[in-house]
Amino acid sequence: MSQPNEVHTLSGAYALDALTEIERAGFARHLAECSVCETEVAEFRETAARLGMAAWEIPPARLRERVMAEVAQTRQVSASSRPERSRSQDVALWRRRTVAAVAAGLIAVGGGTAAWVVQEQRVNRAATEASQLESVLQAGDVQVHSAAVSGGGRMTVAVSPSKGAVAIMSDLPTLPKGKVYQLWLITGSNPAEPSVIMASGQTGGTVRLTSLGTADHLAVSVEPDGGSQHPTVVMGTVPLA
Amino acid sequence: MSTRGGDPAWRDQATSRFGPADEPPSGPDDLLRRVARGDENAFSQLYEMLAPRVFGLARRVLRDPAQAEEVAQEALVEVWRTAARFDPAKGSATSWVLTITHRRAVDRVRSAQAGADRERRVLAASGETPYDDVVETVTSNLEQQQVRRCLKGLTDLQREAITLAYYDGFTYREVAEKLDTALPTIKTRMRDGLIRLRDCLGVEVGLPAANRAGR
Repeated sequence: MSQPNEVHTLSGAYALDALTEIERAGFARHLAECSVCETEVAEFRETAARLGMAAWEIPPARLRERVMAEVAQTRQVSASSRPERSRSQDVALWRRRTVAAVAAGLIAVGGGTAAWVVQEQRVNRAATEASQLESVLQAGDVQVHSAAVSGGGRMTVAVSPSKGAVAIMSDLPTLPKGKVYQLWLITGSNPAEPSVIMASGQTGGTVRLTSLGTADHLAVSVEPDGGSQHPTVVMGTVPLA
Repeated sequence: MSTRGGDPAWRDQATSRFGPADEPPSGPDDLLRRVARGDENAFSQLYEMLAPRVFGLARRVLRDPAQAEEVAQEALVEVWRTAARFDPAKGSATSWVLTITHRRAVDRVRSAQAGADRERRVLAASGETPYDDVVETVTSNLEQQQVRRCLKGLTDLQREAITLAYYDGFTYREVAEKLDTALPTIKTRMRDGLIRLRDCLGVEVGLPAANRAGR
């Protein structure tokens, strides 16, 4: 919630289903972290539904037959369907969140060092980046691993031997000025190899990892602005396979 | 939103008027809870109650009756399938069903296959006041009169932004273009318009703790 006003004003458009898929996913992500917004959105949804109640029309009789026939053959989800979510649904959810992170104006890093902040006006560019990420995320051989970062937030990686790898950092603690997050590739007990340096002030984002080599873990550390050659304070690690 | 389950006198009175003794007459909230337990009979009753709203809303957003019928079918089957996810603390059953319907209708409007038709809709909608259109097609029951009255209480920009998005399925970017207004302004108008509508309609979400414990 670093820019509550910015994101928060989308609550109306969200409740009216007036966001694009990418923006919607971005707002949903914000919503999960903002209980005030959750109440507001629930009230807006209820309000919007009242507008919906102003439209009323008797449907053709065949609609009833079709619906009842389909219902008779449709299995219901259980009340506790969240814990029972299948792995593929988990991956799908994670994909959506990744797209969301890109769209929500976090960061996208390509080629290892160049970083840019995606502004709202650049959603199209974000969408292009998102579609590149999608190719990894939709690969049949993708594997997803996730781990908590000390101090808060999570790091998650998706690795596809055929399409490459992406990492998403979400909700990391805000760092003091002059400090940045840096990613590291770790192979066994060898010294960590410096990888992506996140932009100053960024606490989350989606990162395409270009060359994993033989690395078996990804780590995130806190470094002076500009990055380091060796990790200073490691905040979390996640396995790559 | 009201809870009826706990009052035996009410139940007795009710069973004599409607259906078999084990099925007290129910509002959408009660019915949906029974649907969540796999009760097809409850779903059938819920259908009777809500299908005209579902179809009406799909028709309003999509215009095309054939597409509206398909979307209504999808939405109603989704209601059956996911009924267990309905949480009365977050709103009424009717609004939950209409939220599903609206989302599906909007997805359909924006889908690639609707692309060409959409262009036409954008053009066609440019000379139109959606609000009047809505008012025309509604029958005059109390609920609808209230919506109409509350829509009148909005500023023109709030009303147009909300109705173009909700009834025509435009994104807020498209709304900004159509109304030739800056994007942040449209975002804000949608939000403050909804706040004003919410207050005017007296929308409240969440059941009192006592009611929630009743079931």
